[in-house]
Amino acid sequence: MSRLKAEHLYKVFGRRPEAAVRRLADGADRDELRADGTTAAVIDASFEVEAGQIFVVMGLSGSGKSTLLRMLNGLLDPTAGRVLYDGRDLTALSPRELRDVRSRNISMVFQHFALFPHRSVLENAAYGLEVRGVPRAEREERAAEALELAGLKGWEKSWPDELSGGMQQRVGLARALATDADLLLMDESFSALDPLIRRDMQDQLLDLQKRLKKTIVFITHDLNEAMRLGDRIAVMRDGRIVQNGTAEDILVRPANDYVASFIQDVDRSRVLTAGSIMTGSAAPAAGLPDDATTVSADTPVAELFSPFARSGEPVAVTGEDGELTGVVTRDGLLAALGDQPQVAQGAAPRATDPEPEVTAHA
Amino acid sequence: MPRISLGSWAESAVDWLQSHLSWLFDAVNTVLTGMYDGVNAVLGAPDALLMAGILAVVAWWLRGLLAGALAFAGLALVDSFGLWDEAMATLSLVLVASLITLVLAVPLGIWAARNRRVSRVLRPVLDVMQTMPAFVYLIPGVMFFSIGPIPGLIATIVFSMPPGVRMTELGIRQVDGELVEAARAFGTTPRDTLVRVQLPLALPTIMAGVNQVIMLALSMVVIAGMAGAGGLGESVYAAVTQVNIGGGVESGLAVVVLAMYLDRMTGALGRRVSPSGRRAAAKDAASARASASAAFLRYRPGTAVATVGIVVLALVAGGMHLTRGGDDRQAVAAGKNAGHGKKVRLGYFPWDEAVATTYLWQNVLEDRGYEPDVKQLDPGPLYTALAQGQMDLQFDSWLPTTHKQYMDRYGDKLSDLGSWYGPTSLELTVPSYVKGIDSLADLKGKGAQFGGKIVGIESSAGMMGTLNDKVLKEYGLDGEYKVVSSSTSTMLAELDRAVKKKEPVVTTLWSPHWAYAKHDLKKLKDPKGAWGKGEEIHAVGKKDFAADFPKVAQWVKDFRMSEKDLASLEAEIQSGGKGKEKDSARRWLDAHPGFADKLAPVGA
Repeated sequence: MSRLKAEHLYKVFGRRPEAAVRRLADGADRDELRADGTTAAVIDASFEVEAGQIFVVMGLSGSGKSTLLRMLNGLLDPTAGRVLYDGRDLTALSPRELRDVRSRNISMVFQHFALFPHRSVLENAAYGLEVRGVPRAEREERAAEALELAGLKGWEKSWPDELSGGMQQRVGLARALATDADLLLMDESFSALDPLIRRDMQDQLLDLQKRLKKTIVFITHDLNEAMRLGDRIAVMRDGRIVQNGTAEDILVRPANDYVASFIQDVDRSRVLTAGSIMTGSAAPAAGLPDDATTVSADTPVAELFSPFARSGEPVAVTGEDGELTGVVTRDGLLAALGDQPQVAQGAAPRATDPEPEVTAHA
Repeated sequence: MPRISLGSWAESAVDWLQSHLSWLFDAVNTVLTGMYDGVNAVLGAPDALLMAGILAVVAWWLRGLLAGALAFAGLALVDSFGLWDEAMATLSLVLVASLITLVLAVPLGIWAARNRRVSRVLRPVLDVMQTMPAFVYLIPGVMFFSIGPIPGLIATIVFSMPPGVRMTELGIRQVDGELVEAARAFGTTPRDTLVRVQLPLALPTIMAGVNQVIMLALSMVVIAGMAGAGGLGESVYAAVTQVNIGGGVESGLAVVVLAMYLDRMTGALGRRVSPSGRRAAAKDAASARASASAAFLRYRPGTAVATVGIVVLALVAGGMHLTRGGDDRQAVAAGKNAGHGKKVRLGYFPWDEAVATTYLWQNVLEDRGYEPDVKQLDPGPLYTALAQGQMDLQFDSWLPTTHKQYMDRYGDKLSDLGSWYGPTSLELTVPSYVKGIDSLADLKGKGAQFGGKIVGIESSAGMMGTLNDKVLKEYGLDGEYKVVSSSTSTMLAELDRAVKKKEPVVTTLWSPHWAYAKHDLKKLKDPKGAWGKGEEIHAVGKKDFAADFPKVAQWVKDFRMSEKDLASLEAEIQSGGKGKEKDSARRWLDAHPGFADKLAPVGA
């Protein structure tokens, strides 16, 4: 069973939201509602997140991704639909139960850090535990551990405004980690940082994730970030999830023109892997020199450049047991990098089908 | 457009409240009076300089040595003006008013910040409270709560509440929405969000509101003084109405000293209680340590040291209070004690003959064993208070014309103790150097000479009504002249200025008045009798005055005073200066042996 499951979530702001949900379900679009003064922020969003996975929701501003995130921990009440956490329906909880879930199971990292300026770094990191009523000595110890995890050992007594942006967000991260919550909601958490720091933070998050195996829902408007972090990526547009798949799915098989236009600027060499561009093993062995370079299927294409630069000979792709699974040729590589992705034929455009099957389950 | 009689509805509402909810007002009155008296007793108990010392230590603790020294100097100055008791009464009023205001305003502000509907409802109410002229509710305040500090207190609370509410609401709304969301995201309850996040972060703004509340409260004391609140307000008011420039400046300066003290202290307190302020202070202290120059100026005692200092001074004050003991009230001559310590509440408005007779009678009644309590009020509040039985007696009812409106309204709730002086006259007056104008009729066509203006007194005064409604019409002057209403003191100051520069001026005036002795003036003749007949000055008591004070009632009924006696008494008091009226009247009595016995015969 998946750790987190969203079922047909809707969020409509304005008057008579339930009526608006019915109209949306019947195929009305966002602009029709806007004429009546209601705003449909999220329309029929469904997805599942497995334990230990980083699930990225990607979309431009106004696509509804932040609203979607806030429905996951009940900061916003869905107009329709359910959120299941470990099979428990969060939308049915009383405010008290919901607060309990937030203080134990789900924590959040914010875009502009949202550190409390009147609390020291340590007090900020300990905030969630303080709310839960953990005694001071214990919570400060755990907060200090979380700060160390986030790379801020020695800064406990500082104040938030004395830290750089990146360090402040580490405090935000430590605050979220300190409660030992399994689910981390990260709302554009690195968007306010400059590019170098952002990259650092992404590395650190991946590094932490290897050790801690949290379940993470990460919101971003940056496709490169999404590709880098996401085990799965949901692309949102105008309140709807238009595609949900792995980075490779999205790059190779964009669901529609919108996604396709989106991925034009992505550095494909870092997302595509040898496995995705190799030719099948039916006729490979022919022409493959004995000393051919071998790589595994999940090697990024970027790492194939140097072998090709050296010899121009095809590269062998081997499986876990060393058996040959395919071959990447120089032409194939160039074609993969040069090709514009083709809109996948399986995914029907929204106009003909108001409920596209975008919930490709992982 | 039909006349919407909102005013008369308000009047009926006040009447209704007065007759049906008096128990409530009495209860409020008791509680507030208790608070005010308590605070005043504490602040007023120590010797002036000791109390100044205590306040200076507080300043030292909050802001440093320089502030402490300045505070002490300023407060000592107030004491040297002889205004210490008044200053402490004002401080008590301000503190009690501010405390009550904040207890109401901060929760209201929080409520408004969390509920847009409350905020919307509150906003126009606060606008009314802030902009409705205080006099409008001061008079009903007197009806409900009697004269004294309470109407002033209520007026102050009403006036100073809006910034307290607004700044609290603003402060909480200003807190970054993401922070509130973060608090919620970690499972904080709404109450804890308020206490742990919103209030601490809003505190600097809220403290700015507190500061505003206290400053506005202080700015209301003068107005409160008109309703008998006592303190510096009364001193300012009395000085101003008696054209006592020196006294006005002194009491005004005392208000300024208090204002600056309270402003600086609440500012410093704001930095001290708010977390971010504490941090900034810690940083300043660190950088100050780095640059060691004049460090002793910045030295501030710790909280413990300051507390010890205050306690020691307070103990010294208490000790001195005990050893001093004793009562310095002068003994009443044997056989003349008719009052046996009974309290008589004498009210007067600042007209010279009222001041003169009231202080004359205060001395005489003290000699007869009464405890006369003297209070200055505006005519409106004074008549109201008499009608309510919250005042016993006043000596300056000009009847039948000038105070007709009050007698019409309250006549059946007052007792007329008869005339002691008369006839008086009302007139327009010009300086003698204005040639060719001897009668009201001569004013016609000369408007340009006087700038088309007649310098009047308080618009509430009866003679102003007579002048506008009758005199000007009778002589055909009403298009040509405009009566400028101001105040008696402004009128006298204007007269003074004009006489010094020999400018033509026409003012309202009346006889008797010491201005006729000071300047060479011409009363304009009134051949048509438009001003009406001369009036008599009556003493007027509360309804059952004669029953409560049979002896005094008899004395006052027999009281007569000649123009010569009154003029010399007024002159004595005028020369004695503000704040010394009682001593001046005493001097006058001493110079007129037998007068007191004639006023208040006892025995035989």
